[in-house]
Amino acid sequence: MQQLDNQEILMKLKSSKQFWDIKKKIKQGFSDQQKIGVNDIQKFAQSCEIEDQLIKLISHILKKSKKRETLKEDQIEFLNTSKIKWTELLFKNLDIVHQKTKNQEEDDTNTDSKLYIYDEKNLLAFLQTFKQQQSNNLYQNVQFQSNKILNINIPLKSSQSILDKYQYLLLQEELSDEKINKIRKQIENEHLDIELEKIAQTFVPNGERCLLYLKYFEFDHQDTVLQQHFVKLQKECLNQLFYDELLEIDGHEISEDTFYFVFQEQILTCLKCFIRDRTIKENIRIQLQSGIKKEHAEFQLPITGFFPFKNISKYVAPLCYLSTKIHIIYALFKEFFCRYFCFLHAISSESNSILSLCMQIEEIVSTRSPKLFHHLKVIGCDTLKLIIHQLVYCFIGDMDPPHILTIYDQIIGHDSLEILVILCVGFLNKYKSKLLLAKNQENVQQIFSELREDRFQELVQYAYKQ
Amino acid sequence: MQNKKLKWKSDFEKSVIIENFVNRGWIKSQEKEEEQTDWNVYWATQIINHFPNHYELTRKDCMVKNLKRFKREQDKEVLETFNFDFLPTTYIFPGEYSLFVEEFHRNPNQTWIVKPAARSQGKGIFLLRKIQQLKKISGTTVTSNMTQLNLASKENYVVSRYIDNPLLIGGKKFDLRMYVLVTNYKPLKVWIYNKGFGRFCNEQYTTDVAEIENMFVHLTNVAIQQYSDKYSQKHGGKYSIDALKLYVESAYGTDALNKMMDDIHNIMLTSLKSVQAVIQNDKHCFEMYGYDILLDSNLKPWLIEINASPSLTTTTPVDKNLKMNLINDVYNIVLPNDDFPDNDQKQQQPTKVGGFTLLYDENLDPNNRKTQKRQSVKIWK
Repeated sequence: MQQLDNQEILMKLKSSKQFWDIKKKIKQGFSDQQKIGVNDIQKFAQSCEIEDQLIKLISHILKKSKKRETLKEDQIEFLNTSKIKWTELLFKNLDIVHQKTKNQEEDDTNTDSKLYIYDEKNLLAFLQTFKQQQSNNLYQNVQFQSNKILNINIPLKSSQSILDKYQYLLLQEELSDEKINKIRKQIENEHLDIELEKIAQTFVPNGERCLLYLKYFEFDHQDTVLQQHFVKLQKECLNQLFYDELLEIDGHEISEDTFYFVFQEQILTCLKCFIRDRTIKENIRIQLQSGIKKEHAEFQLPITGFFPFKNISKYVAPLCYLSTKIHIIYALFKEFFCRYFCFLHAISSESNSILSLCMQIEEIVSTRSPKLFHHLKVIGCDTLKLIIHQLVYCFIGDMDPPHILTIYDQIIGHDSLEILVILCVGFLNKYKSKLLLAKNQENVQQIFSELREDRFQELVQYAYKQ
Repeated sequence: MQNKKLKWKSDFEKSVIIENFVNRGWIKSQEKEEEQTDWNVYWATQIINHFPNHYELTRKDCMVKNLKRFKREQDKEVLETFNFDFLPTTYIFPGEYSLFVEEFHRNPNQTWIVKPAARSQGKGIFLLRKIQQLKKISGTTVTSNMTQLNLASKENYVVSRYIDNPLLIGGKKFDLRMYVLVTNYKPLKVWIYNKGFGRFCNEQYTTDVAEIENMFVHLTNVAIQQYSDKYSQKHGGKYSIDALKLYVESAYGTDALNKMMDDIHNIMLTSLKSVQAVIQNDKHCFEMYGYDILLDSNLKPWLIEINASPSLTTTTPVDKNLKMNLINDVYNIVLPNDDFPDNDQKQQQPTKVGGFTLLYDENLDPNNRKTQKRQSVKIWK
């Protein structure tokens, strides 16, 4: 575990606006006095809560400096076993996909487009197979309803706490030019991630977003290092892997998107480098696959430790707007994936995991829109099946890029994926009246096949309507 | 409030035009085609939605001549200053051939782009690195000492310095199509539309001489790119202006975006001002122009050409949505409340109508009265 020495802590403190505010307050408190002792400062600091603020600031610096270890084991044993089963299933799918590609090479007329290892529907279907957890003394207080499709007894934050956390978004107004300029200067001057998170929660000007992200991930003075790392990976791409073919096929969908087709080649290059990047395994916050395939197997897991999946290209696409430099786009994508998006593909009880997010959505919709929840069940369209695509891919492809980047801001702002819960609930509420009139799955598909425009702020508003 | 059943007639069977008529509740003129005189609105090739001599702006050679003339006039003026640094060095053939030859020899490594003055959709365009390549123009001959050019056809050609450092996104070249509505030339009143698109080439850009004839690398016209193997029906190579603005602002900064847009507005205004004195103004006329603008790698915009009849063909659902709204907004300005506005009503129009924002109104320009006295009116022949 990395520990900072006092000098390093002081350097980090000095890069924070809060530190200088505190210093200013102390100076103002002693402006008339000539002789000031340490005890005087301590008494003063305690009296006006400055000491608490400093302690919080320092502990935050120390906490962030600790190198995170990848979560490999879940606190709930059956999820660990499930992860192994999931990995085995994916290996089987890999064999099927490999056979299909061989068949396509031999027969041009065979254009089976399902050449991916898994998609979000497969993942949800797997989660649904979890049998109801036996009662466990640790979790007896956890309530769950049997009409939900995910009957899993895991510790869950209260859905009200998530709604309360993001309620401030309802009050957000358009900012004046003066305020926007102030935020710009803040981003230029600020280095501490806790301060950058606060900015990201409120408003990030388009022109400063890349800088904020780079600072937050501590990449702002590492351009050369990032470039060298990327160039090294690009050289490794000269050796073709089977997964490259899957990535090329995956890229077809993004190449048809009106907002992302221009970045098609960059996205593919980033992904090819990604599956060859050895540093991902040690940086990723949670292990996605578990277990090693049997001997004599033709394919093993990529060096990242997980299989590429359908629509992985989508995660890279919005970041292509942020920079002309591909190594910067790559670094940002890698960091976003390793910190956040990995949880959307992890069998885990962590609060950011797909399982927890799905259960939160079911909880909110079933309690706040019971009529819709029940109606969807009756016509054979479960709530989760309707929004799983938007959830897993963060609405990329459903919302225009400015709104997606706002989602990314919120993810950084709260160091959490919970904003997706709010947006999914909002999405269902927005189309509630049409969904209530739907009589079957075809009707529902028709509702979502029409040209529509979903916006971030709009979905937030809908999330809080009942 | 749309409460009048105007009668319409159209020379074009374009869905974006007809559907707008229908959506507004207007009725098609029922008289026999040759006797149709009872129409109120006629989407025609030359009458209502054009100014009589719009070619002064929209023929490539006339546009260049007028801009050069306007620049010479402005150089003598003290009050008004316009930035003309948006037109690549251009020569009009056959008249300026000898001037071109001199310039060609001064910069032998320069690539030039040759275009027929009055054609569209990329027809007849090619890149030139050797003067002998001018023989590509059918029947044309060049003397061995290159002093004389005999153009077989009677049409003029324009030869411009090729912008060989275009801004690339994803490694591909693109240009911008933006829409400008002029409802009056004297005084000048100009509206700019907030939607437009970038038209992308399908091949990665390269300055490699071996690819100089590859039109899929160099020419952004949809009419050309649609024949590429890589052409997509879903997006048609069209990238929205909003997406481009987001990209420029995010990747280059807000100041860079603002400067780029200011420069684009300057191009529009300066080009329109350059023909203000020569265009035959008519209160029954309006014109919606399609501006083609190329951005270079420094985000500097260059004027390629101005189209009097920008394509209303729709290649994708997004494209159709854009053009439907565009035409609808044109009518909302030109015929507010389905009626011909008088001068007072025109002056009271809001500065934003649908997707159009008022870019310039000479009536509101404080420099207007002083400069009007100085401007000499010349009819260009």
